[in-house]
Amino acid sequence: MKSTKTNISRRHFLQTSAGAITAAGMLGTTPLFASGTDVVKLQFMYPVGVSGDINRIVTGMINNFNSSHEKIQVEPIYAGSYDNTEQKVMTSLGVGEPPATWLPINSALQTFLGMDALADVTSLAKADDIYQDFLPGFLSICESEEKLYGLPFQCSTPVLYYNKDLFAKAGINKAPDNWTELLETAKALTIRNGSDVSQWGVTFGGGWHDWIFESFVRQNALVPWQKDKVMFDAPEAIDALEFWVKMVKEGVMPSASTWQGSANDFMAGRTAMLYHSTGSLTNLRKSSPFEVGVAFMPKNKTYGATIGGGPILMAKNQPDAHLNASWTFARWMTNTQNQTHWCKETGYIAARKSSWEGEDLKTFVNEVPAAKVALDQAAYAGAFLQVPGYHKVREYLKSALDRTLAGEIDPTSALKDATKQSNREIERLMRRRS
Amino acid sequence: MKQSMFKKYGLHAILFPVAILWIGPLIWILVTSVKTRVEVFDSNSGLLPQNFIWDNYPAAMSVAPFGTYMMNSFMVTGGILICQIVTISLAAYAFARIKFPFKNVIFSLFLLQIMFPIYAIFLTNFITVRELGLMNSLPAMIVPFVASGYGTFMLRQAFMQVPSELSDAAKLDGCGHFSTLWHVYLPLVRPTLIAFAIISVVTHWNDYMWPLLVTNSESVRTLPIGLGLLAKSDSGADWTRLMAATVIVISPLLLLFVIFQRRFVDSFMHAGLK
Repeated sequence: MKSTKTNISRRHFLQTSAGAITAAGMLGTTPLFASGTDVVKLQFMYPVGVSGDINRIVTGMINNFNSSHEKIQVEPIYAGSYDNTEQKVMTSLGVGEPPATWLPINSALQTFLGMDALADVTSLAKADDIYQDFLPGFLSICESEEKLYGLPFQCSTPVLYYNKDLFAKAGINKAPDNWTELLETAKALTIRNGSDVSQWGVTFGGGWHDWIFESFVRQNALVPWQKDKVMFDAPEAIDALEFWVKMVKEGVMPSASTWQGSANDFMAGRTAMLYHSTGSLTNLRKSSPFEVGVAFMPKNKTYGATIGGGPILMAKNQPDAHLNASWTFARWMTNTQNQTHWCKETGYIAARKSSWEGEDLKTFVNEVPAAKVALDQAAYAGAFLQVPGYHKVREYLKSALDRTLAGEIDPTSALKDATKQSNREIERLMRRRS
Repeated sequence: MKQSMFKKYGLHAILFPVAILWIGPLIWILVTSVKTRVEVFDSNSGLLPQNFIWDNYPAAMSVAPFGTYMMNSFMVTGGILICQIVTISLAAYAFARIKFPFKNVIFSLFLLQIMFPIYAIFLTNFITVRELGLMNSLPAMIVPFVASGYGTFMLRQAFMQVPSELSDAAKLDGCGHFSTLWHVYLPLVRPTLIAFAIISVVTHWNDYMWPLLVTNSESVRTLPIGLGLLAKSDSGADWTRLMAATVIVISPLLLLFVIFQRRFVDSFMHAGLK
């Protein structure tokens, strides 16, 4: 008797609660049906390329976006360094649930294209002012075979930083403008006690020295890669590496360094000149106890620079509504006003001409003339090593550079080896793709 | 008398420089965390900060919600440790004291798990966690680590050292497997358990890549990700704020160690005496 009663009351309870859930469900969905559309939820995975505040700046921008777009909600997801971000995106791609948008380093373009992961946004861009307003070099980092796969967001290049105090002490009043002057200036600034060097003339930021090396090759008027092969063994590249070897042999440049360590050395006055990313400008300016000068990387046949940093890419494997929302988001992050804001806050180079024509950046350039150097040099800049399997190719090239500078091997054979290994790896990946 | 004086002070004379080696980096971290950015690399400004600047702490805390991160770190590390202690003591007991078919084969598989670098099984773990519907939650960071081949191995070796007379006596007193494990084995291998706990806590407290991979929201992320915001970048680390954040991240572990120091040391001493 007792048990029946409980059963009844339990059934009654179930019925009531089922009713309540249905009612709640209807209440929840009704407004959406009434407006005819759903809120589109997007994920945006991004790395932090400049320490500290980037996370706050990006989330701030995305909060603004979300509050000004009723139908789109973007979830900002910090994903570590560039490599970490790539791993996270690839893992999500592997299980078939990619984020709608993400920000990789531009070298990864062919890798993601090889996975058939990227949406082609050429027609969306043509209907807009993209091709007119973006700096052509920057736009080129998201292009492959005339098709556009993203919008450039955080762009950087290497530049030459120099310690104005040490220059004054050595009686030098201008930064070197070509390779010969670079070597001479470095000689004049090197200080040694016996066999120890207490102050180097110049240091190239290690770890990314392959990125800097490509800039040197570009200064010899060659882009040492195409989308399916590398040409590190071309005479232009060999000549660039021979110049590096000469600098090491003259004792004006350390044969190896690290990315972090070279910046620290510069701030501590242990190297008078430094090749490093424009992204480091704010940090170097704020942390150095002396005035920091910024100049073009010296030219040889021409000026040349390689673009680091990356574009916002959009996933192919998503419904049209989501792709359109992703475009709206990428377009908004790279609009004139936001590129201005981003450039001022971080030191990345704004990718839009209209940003640089605006009053805001004009005032900024007056205060920080160094920012202008980066922009002007961008006219000579292009994408960085966009080949399949760029991770391995970078390692082959870096190892060739390191071994040569350490004196283990001559430039020609080192670069020939690296080219052979890299092209074998690229061919292997291309075969697997087809 | 003379000899004991030497013993007393001589030992200290040797140990003091060694202690400096260990404490040095910690002091350096503390000192850097109260400097200005310019002072860090300026060789003229000396080793000590000119004025103590506490601004780095709030500035570091503003980069990410470190309070939430710390709670999560505690829960993840603690959760993993509790699960591991349960699973490894049961498994180790079985391997050490029970006969069952294919025991050696299964044990070799356990050992094989130690050889695999964690990165090699990231994708399969990722898929498992996703199938379980745990993505972007605290359990996603705990579940893959609830069992430990290394811990099982360590504890099995310790259990094998326990004389079988003790467990036989327990059996005579009417103990089943579980009570034998609880009353006889676990108390006797406490040093091993503590050694394993230290290794496990340090490993998972500092884990970076896996939490980064399976979490998206700030509400479920852990301390190393917060540190990554200040350190992993191509512009060079923001040393003063990074060191301030490091102090915050390592202090709970240091505090725990100071509180339980006597117990840690005691258990290692016992291990030596046996």
